[in-house]
Amino acid sequence: MSEDLQALIDEAVKKALAGDDDAINGIQDRVTRSKAKAALVKAKREQSKAVDENSDSESIEEQPTTDNSEYIILKIAKILEDKFSGCIDGEVHSDFIQLKPEKWFEISKFLKEDPDTYFDSLQCNTGFDLGDGLLESRYNLHSMKHLHSIEIRIKVNIDNPDIPSVESVWRVADWFERETYDMFGINFTGHRDLRRILLPEDWDGWPLRKDYEEQETYHGIVVPKVKEGWE
Amino acid sequence: MGFLENRFDDNVVVEKLDKLLSWARSTSPWFFQFGTACCAIEMMAAAASRHDLMRIGIIPRSSPRQADVMIVAGTVTMKMALRVKKLYEQMADPKYVVAMGSCATSGGPYWQHGYHVLKGVDLVIPVDVYVPGCPPRPEALIEGLLKLQEQILEGRPLTRKTG
Repeated sequence: MSEDLQALIDEAVKKALAGDDDAINGIQDRVTRSKAKAALVKAKREQSKAVDENSDSESIEEQPTTDNSEYIILKIAKILEDKFSGCIDGEVHSDFIQLKPEKWFEISKFLKEDPDTYFDSLQCNTGFDLGDGLLESRYNLHSMKHLHSIEIRIKVNIDNPDIPSVESVWRVADWFERETYDMFGINFTGHRDLRRILLPEDWDGWPLRKDYEEQETYHGIVVPKVKEGWE
Repeated sequence: MGFLENRFDDNVVVEKLDKLLSWARSTSPWFFQFGTACCAIEMMAAAASRHDLMRIGIIPRSSPRQADVMIVAGTVTMKMALRVKKLYEQMADPKYVVAMGSCATSGGPYWQHGYHVLKGVDLVIPVDVYVPGCPPRPEALIEGLLKLQEQILEGRPLTRKTG
């Protein structure tokens, strides 16, 4: 393409971008006209892209983030200590709150309904076997309104693993607690439908406990214990 | 063929009924379509158009009562083992079992620590062909099914077994 034609196209595109619709249609040569139209489309696309990038960078800065800092945890631990004195088990930690199991149902109701805490969503509940005869249930709570989140831990003895159920406070806890019961045998008192969720009803033992022993037979099916040819 | 040779018109085949039966069985072993884990994806791929099990006479059936072959495709948990056994019992004779993948043959990756996994489906039902792999490619499954067809072809359903 000669430089003259290129200059013609550039000028026509500049005029068309400024709002002159006839600038490109006025070009006599058919091939040059179509090239100018293609150049106009390209120029318009680049313009809109530049606008999009600018708007994107602005919206990313406005994204709200969840606050799970030490400040929030200490604040909520203080609220709980004031309201239910003696509910905190041991010292106050900076990244979770360790509670005693006795008043957990009342505390959970308070945490959900109090306007300052307002934990309207239970994100996860799971179990742990800490060893030394201790089981633990952990709850991750999140507030959609205040955008803060905390972790609650409740330790129980393996001989008497009773924790009040929060299934009637957060409905999502129904299956979470059933799974924790299934794997660790933590007994959630007050749960309306506490059955095994994954394993069969007649399964023997709690598989994720550290002292779990596999059963010899299940409904007459032999479970081989000799693990030859491994490692 | 001895004295029967060249005595019949065109389009008449003379063969033992025994062999005819096993030939008919081997060329249409319809399998029972159910998958217990990821091997089922490869089983589906084997039945789909690229590998096309139908060209060797094998098509999936949705009911155990219409199927001849059970392809146990995937991990069988203890909970499922009782169901697998029940489904096998619902199939009509003659019935064959293909254990597909390492889980169905031996427990596979769950051999040591999988407390809930059946260590090989042959603890519950008799298996004719084992297909190794994790999961086996459709070619491997087709190889196993061809082996099964050979096995059925060698069988003599009407002959009295001696020894």
